[in-house]
Amino acid sequence: MNRNFKLILIICMLFAVIGASACIGEEKDGTAKGAGSGENSRELVVGIGTDVNNWYLDMFAAGDARFVWSQVYETLVRLDSDLNVIPGLAESWETPDDGKTWIFHLRENVTFHDGTPFDADSVVFSYSNQSYVRQAVLKPVQSVEALDTHTVKFVLKKPMPLPFYLTHVAWPVMGPGCLDAAGNFIKPVGTGSFKFETQAKDQEIVLTRNEAYWGEKPLLDEVTFKVIPEAATRVIALETGEVDMVIKVPEYDVERLEAEEGIQVHRKLTTFTDFLQFNCDKSLFNDTRVRQSVAYAVDTETLVNEVLEGIGEPAGGRPYSSVMMYSDPDLKTYTQDLDKARALLEEAGWKDSNGDGIAEKDGKPLHTSLIVSKGVWAARHNPMAQVVQGTLREVGMDVEIKVLDEGAISKLESTGDFGMILRSGYFVWGPYPKHFFVHRSGSPYSHYHNETYDQLVDTADMTVDTQKQEEIYHSLQAFVIEEVPAFYLMHEEKVVATGPSVKGYTISSEDPWLNLSGVYLERK
Amino acid sequence: MWKYIAKRLAMISIVIAGVTLVAFSAMYLAPGDPAEVIALARYGEDLSASQVETLRVAEGFDAPVHVQYMIWLGHLLQLDLGKSLVTSEDVLTEIRQKLPATAELAIASLLISLLIALPAGILGALRKNTLLDKSCMFVSLVGVSIPNFWLGLLLIWFFALTLHMFPSYGYGSLKHIVLPALTLGTSMSAVTARLTRASLLEVLGQEYIVAARARGFDERTILFRHALKNAFLPVVTFAGMQFGYLLGGAVVVETIFSWPGIGKLLVDSIFAMDFSMVQGCVLFIAVLFSLSSLAVDILYAVLDPRIRYDRRD
Repeated sequence: MNRNFKLILIICMLFAVIGASACIGEEKDGTAKGAGSGENSRELVVGIGTDVNNWYLDMFAAGDARFVWSQVYETLVRLDSDLNVIPGLAESWETPDDGKTWIFHLRENVTFHDGTPFDADSVVFSYSNQSYVRQAVLKPVQSVEALDTHTVKFVLKKPMPLPFYLTHVAWPVMGPGCLDAAGNFIKPVGTGSFKFETQAKDQEIVLTRNEAYWGEKPLLDEVTFKVIPEAATRVIALETGEVDMVIKVPEYDVERLEAEEGIQVHRKLTTFTDFLQFNCDKSLFNDTRVRQSVAYAVDTETLVNEVLEGIGEPAGGRPYSSVMMYSDPDLKTYTQDLDKARALLEEAGWKDSNGDGIAEKDGKPLHTSLIVSKGVWAARHNPMAQVVQGTLREVGMDVEIKVLDEGAISKLESTGDFGMILRSGYFVWGPYPKHFFVHRSGSPYSHYHNETYDQLVDTADMTVDTQKQEEIYHSLQAFVIEEVPAFYLMHEEKVVATGPSVKGYTISSEDPWLNLSGVYLERK
Repeated sequence: MWKYIAKRLAMISIVIAGVTLVAFSAMYLAPGDPAEVIALARYGEDLSASQVETLRVAEGFDAPVHVQYMIWLGHLLQLDLGKSLVTSEDVLTEIRQKLPATAELAIASLLISLLIALPAGILGALRKNTLLDKSCMFVSLVGVSIPNFWLGLLLIWFFALTLHMFPSYGYGSLKHIVLPALTLGTSMSAVTARLTRASLLEVLGQEYIVAARARGFDERTILFRHALKNAFLPVVTFAGMQFGYLLGGAVVVETIFSWPGIGKLLVDSIFAMDFSMVQGCVLFIAVLFSLSSLAVDILYAVLDPRIRYDRRD
């Protein structure tokens, strides 16, 4: 081969590569669709953080999938934007025997997206043994049976306020049309106001209007959910107009966005609550006074102001966010009192005798660990853990922060080799009692064992009478303040931002729920 | 030459066996019970202990680790990569969906990086120790020091938000690839530029260049026909390695720009302990890496006629 020939060959190869990549790129150009395509378009583009990992009832809809599910699927019982229980696909329900049997009267003239009628059989299908929810939270459910075409009976092993549980977006009613004849999942079939159209993995999900929707019909023709994992990019995409709406706006962007013309920031307190869970079984935190000392030391107001730019509500130990049903408005919460924190530590035998700022007991200095997950909450949990570490140092506790992934955390939890864990999220979802289950002895996440507490939780979960429920939940909240199995830090505010053309959006308290019913677009 | 290529291709299968074994063991050595972590991803935090145990048996986590690996290898020989343990999606389908995006980004980034690095490195070497050289090298120092996530956000802010020239995120058109490729290319170009400069300086100091000058060739001919080809040898190796790494995905850039590549898929799967997906990704990355290093070696022979692979046989 002659030299020039080789050179030409290499250059040709280079051009081939450039050409090929350009072709691949251009081929897809036609499908790329942004906001603002066409005047007066009725196609809303929403930026979300994670793709829909699953559409079927054999698995949990993780991450932001539930925001999409809430457009396609509906539940028997629903929550309004202030978390009041309202009828959903069931018009009414009753329990003839105080919670062991529940009879749901279903809405008539509702059809699934594939045209089949919504009836009792589809409810039986959705809550069969195959559904993962029956194997976990709804384990007490013994049978689900259709009494007639529009009446369903749930029989439980023990009394349970079932309608609360059935409000969960991830446990909705699905049409048997989700499956093919062989029983394999083919496509999502729900009753919601939007129908599933297409999904490009980790890129976008397109939904179209359900013309046959039984309720208030949506004003939009189409909703496209764009998957944008990085929050900063999501916000910029809203600012450039590439998307019309973004969820989970970071706290530090709120002030800037609020000042921007045309952009509207919607905020609402949710049920999500971050808490500092103590290892009451195996660490120095088995002494209630040490836990109370932490509660007095950590100033949750500073935490919300410093770390979250004032977005969210300081909890001061309150387990139930004030929007939640049965949240006790008169609950006495903690306010920072460092002297009291030190006094309680001293009472428990921890005293700084050598003047190094760290308390000791029997000659051993007070060292402990605080575990933070690397997962979705890391962005706010890391700085929160640092603030906690700083304040606890002031009262004489030496806290080491460990940032770990879920696997490592579950291992430490099983060996009991930790002091505290900063937790959030799913433990504190919805208006139902499972919130308190996390500290109940039987829970896999519990590091607290107290018979009185277990009994209170069990009774609460078996009570159907609302007045009695309220009483028990108030005493549970007081119990948590007094005994501190965990110190509750802050209640999260949900932040959704919309662009200049979006009108009619109302934010709801329920976290993984996106209400698009009154939303319309006015493109300029 | 063909014999050599065939031999190298055969060796790739050994590399794959080794790499996947290491990946499998590393996943196993990571703390945490895989059955529990996967159950958590499938069923959320509401899961019950019986769900974990059912999953452990169903997915074969109750077997000894070497048996599990052999089972996976057995399926691989039947060209079956299995299904994701978390989303139950077909591993091969998922990777095939992600691979084009990864390859496009890798090619575009490499091109941008070379377009920046080669002129900068050559200019730096020719104008050694001048202000031009120093500023080129300073810029490359800055380039290598700026973290990708920050550079990426800066580029989005400037080109997408301020100038409205390129989309801020997403995948699809030629316009979409510009910002992520620029982010990756800029940081990659820094080292390549320095390498080009150093390598060219070394070659320019060699006797055959002096001889060429003595024979009266003009500087342009000396540079392009004599010096550059030899100076490019280390650069080609390095760029080839970089390309190989890029084919393994670029998690940070993929995340910032919502680029549906293989890097984020792999990292997400590692966190979720999705063994079959991790193994599938590692397999593909290993193959692509081996192939790109083979391509580098072939390019070597093209650049330098003294290198003849066949003679060693």
